[in-house]
Amino acid sequence: MLFKTRNFDDAKTVLTVQDLTVSLPPAAKAPPVLNRINLTIRAGETVCLVGESGSGKSVTSLAIMGLLPKDALFVTGGRITLSDTDLLAQPASAMQDIRARRVAMIFQEPMTALNPVMRVGDQIEEVLESHTSLSADERRKRVIDIMEQVHLPDVERIHRSYPHQLSGGQRQRIMIAMALVLEPELLIADEPTTALDVTTQQQILSLIAELQEKHGTAVLFITHDMGVVAEIADTVYVMKSGDLVEHAPIETLLRAPKQDYTQKLLRAVPSLIPRAARAAPGGDPVLKVDNLDMIYGGGGFFVKRPGTHAAKDVTFTVARGRTLGIVGESGSGKSTVARCIMRLIAPTAGSIRLRDTDIAHLNRAQLKPHRQHLQVVFQDPFRSLNPRWTVGRSLIEGPVNYGTSPRDAMARAAELMEIVGLPRDSLDRYPHQFSGGQRQRIAIARAVMMQPDVLVADEAVSALDVSVQAQVLDLLNDLQEKLGITIVFITHDLRVAAQICDDVLVMQRGVVVEQGPAAAVLANPQHDYTKSLIEAAPGRAWDFANFRELATA
Amino acid sequence: MLGYIIRRILAIFPVMLIVAIFVFLLLRLTPGDPAAIIAGDMATPEQLERIREAMGLNQPIHTQFITWMGRLLQGDLGTSLISGTPVTTMVGQRIFPTINLALLTIAIAVAIAVPMGVLAAWRHRSWVDYAVMSFSVLGFSVPVFVIGYIFILVFSIVLGWLPVQGYAAPADGFGEFLYRAILPALTLATIYIALIARMTRASMLEVLGEDYIRTARAKGVKESRVLFRHALRNAAVPILTVIGTGFALLISGVVVTESVFNIPGIGRLTVDAILARDYPVIQAMILITSATYVVVNLIIDISYTVFDPRIRY
Repeated sequence: MLFKTRNFDDAKTVLTVQDLTVSLPPAAKAPPVLNRINLTIRAGETVCLVGESGSGKSVTSLAIMGLLPKDALFVTGGRITLSDTDLLAQPASAMQDIRARRVAMIFQEPMTALNPVMRVGDQIEEVLESHTSLSADERRKRVIDIMEQVHLPDVERIHRSYPHQLSGGQRQRIMIAMALVLEPELLIADEPTTALDVTTQQQILSLIAELQEKHGTAVLFITHDMGVVAEIADTVYVMKSGDLVEHAPIETLLRAPKQDYTQKLLRAVPSLIPRAARAAPGGDPVLKVDNLDMIYGGGGFFVKRPGTHAAKDVTFTVARGRTLGIVGESGSGKSTVARCIMRLIAPTAGSIRLRDTDIAHLNRAQLKPHRQHLQVVFQDPFRSLNPRWTVGRSLIEGPVNYGTSPRDAMARAAELMEIVGLPRDSLDRYPHQFSGGQRQRIAIARAVMMQPDVLVADEAVSALDVSVQAQVLDLLNDLQEKLGITIVFITHDLRVAAQICDDVLVMQRGVVVEQGPAAAVLANPQHDYTKSLIEAAPGRAWDFANFRELATA
Repeated sequence: MLGYIIRRILAIFPVMLIVAIFVFLLLRLTPGDPAAIIAGDMATPEQLERIREAMGLNQPIHTQFITWMGRLLQGDLGTSLISGTPVTTMVGQRIFPTINLALLTIAIAVAIAVPMGVLAAWRHRSWVDYAVMSFSVLGFSVPVFVIGYIFILVFSIVLGWLPVQGYAAPADGFGEFLYRAILPALTLATIYIALIARMTRASMLEVLGEDYIRTARAKGVKESRVLFRHALRNAAVPILTVIGTGFALLISGVVVTESVFNIPGIGRLTVDAILARDYPVIQAMILITSATYVVVNLIIDISYTVFDPRIRY
């Protein structure tokens, strides 16, 4: 069975949202943030709310919870009904009691969503303290019981742990335990797996499905990941800048999307089928890494502690104009390798040859002439540009450091703005005046300003919406063809890797488990870990862009 | 953790040794003859010779240092040049009023300032917030002796509720201590209330924007609990730093308040010693002040780990 095909015609309606309108304060004179939204969720049903960032998905969920930011967003019309309770008519104290008891919510970042200075067991127990009159013993029993239900190992130990002592997946299980301990009618999950690795994501998704089945919970699942949608949704609602543009049962929506916007969203989903192989490279490799080792920490004043072996014996070469993907989950060592190549850190052992020089063990002064040949684009374009500098100033800083005159550098920056598809006058503006995708274009332009031989892209498209992601990938491809840049692309997303990489290197716990041409590694993986990664990729049997099953699946 | 505390305690010794060397050299390296400095302008050569003899100044400097350190380690801080009493006795008499006053001041400041800061952050940009911030500016800008005299005028002279001056030890009855110490403590507390309230507000504002605060609200937790159990504990580290430094400052320099309220504390002892060039007493005060800062810093650092389990050394 490819999709869920359950029928909910006879099921009890849990949540009805009618003509919900949410606006900024009247003084802002802005159009509404949510414009007459209508939504129904029935008992046991999973409704997915999809759309790009800024489409109003999260605002919808916060409005249902009664947690819209004070003084910033206001419900200005419509009704929200939870099984006969008019939520918008409830006074604050009643709403406080409804939260967690009847509607619960889990959030995207399990690290930041849990209180770092409270034991996780106490955080679950707090829900019971706030809403029930159970005795301490009974509370503890309930907490242990729900922790077992979310399949946490070694419950007694984890009960006493603080969030930073747990893995991302365990933290999200704690969040789920906290949300479901009072068996609410409705669970709102706001991108609950976005920050997790694919294999962990798969576990969390099946856990939510299992508990939903067991308790008959209605689930409102907010996501931008169409793969996840394909796996879990009964019904899909599509949002675009505050409007609900389309809703349909999952299979109908994926096979026959009616609205242009929905089609556009689906077409942008990168395919898991690797790109066609490009002509083999000629000439010497630009970057050659041999037996790279990186051990963090170790030592200690009184007791010798073993360090963390973050990269073990990593060896690869990349030729001019090619793209190497380094793929792996968190903790695999892919970012460590990137930082070593960039020489942001010094590797413990091994060599990194950039063109003809081994830069692995050069000191700061010796490195300087080589730095300009190595440039980087980071994941978060919101934080990688100085907010108080104009884009132009950020762009020319590097070349001016290396002796280009500011006037020449500015002229080059203006040319680059056009190449990356931004207006020339962008140079006089500040980063906050641009969208995430535009900022990532600026970050790429900043890197390319230095005319590098090697561009390291560390999760450079992971924070972007799929449609924007596709554009940025195209941009990187164009730049590579025009300028012959070599790209080292660090990613956890196999779909992205399939679209941009010539060669792929798969890492697990610091070790390279498999490497080779992308087509070979992704289409015909040999190592179990690579296989499990590909199997965990959600919606892998569906060709989203062509609205049909994958031909090869 | 225990290892860390032990390492930190061991680290106190080199720090205090450096302070001791500095204090020792302070007198010996001052230009001119220490004996002449001590004796003053009107001294006769015989008097100078007697002072040199008494202080061991005619011996080589390293011998002097070893003798001095040896006495110091036995708790002998020397004898006052003015009164002739041992410095240890003088300091011992004066330090308890100062410590008691400092503790009371910090307790009052924390009890008032932390709720004020929390409230201001919770009702950010409301009249409550503006009121707290205005009070802070006032607390910072009015000199402490002005506040002291205003309090005396209002509470002692006009209302007649409290004594004008004086001090009673807690050992003679805690009520009596409070009765006499409350005005000076309030006076001293004003600036700390301003400081701690501002720090609490800023730290709380940052924490209240965190995801786990949203989670706590999504759990249907009461707002007071969100503020005090979830937010305040996460906001604690910078607040603790200010409280600790404030306490150390109180121990070393409450001269003005002690003078205004006529309290026999070490602030006045220090000033009197400086005015009288009573070098052994000055040396003792520098040592004690440094030791206070070192110990208070250690306590602050250890207290971080109590509030934030992520901090492990």
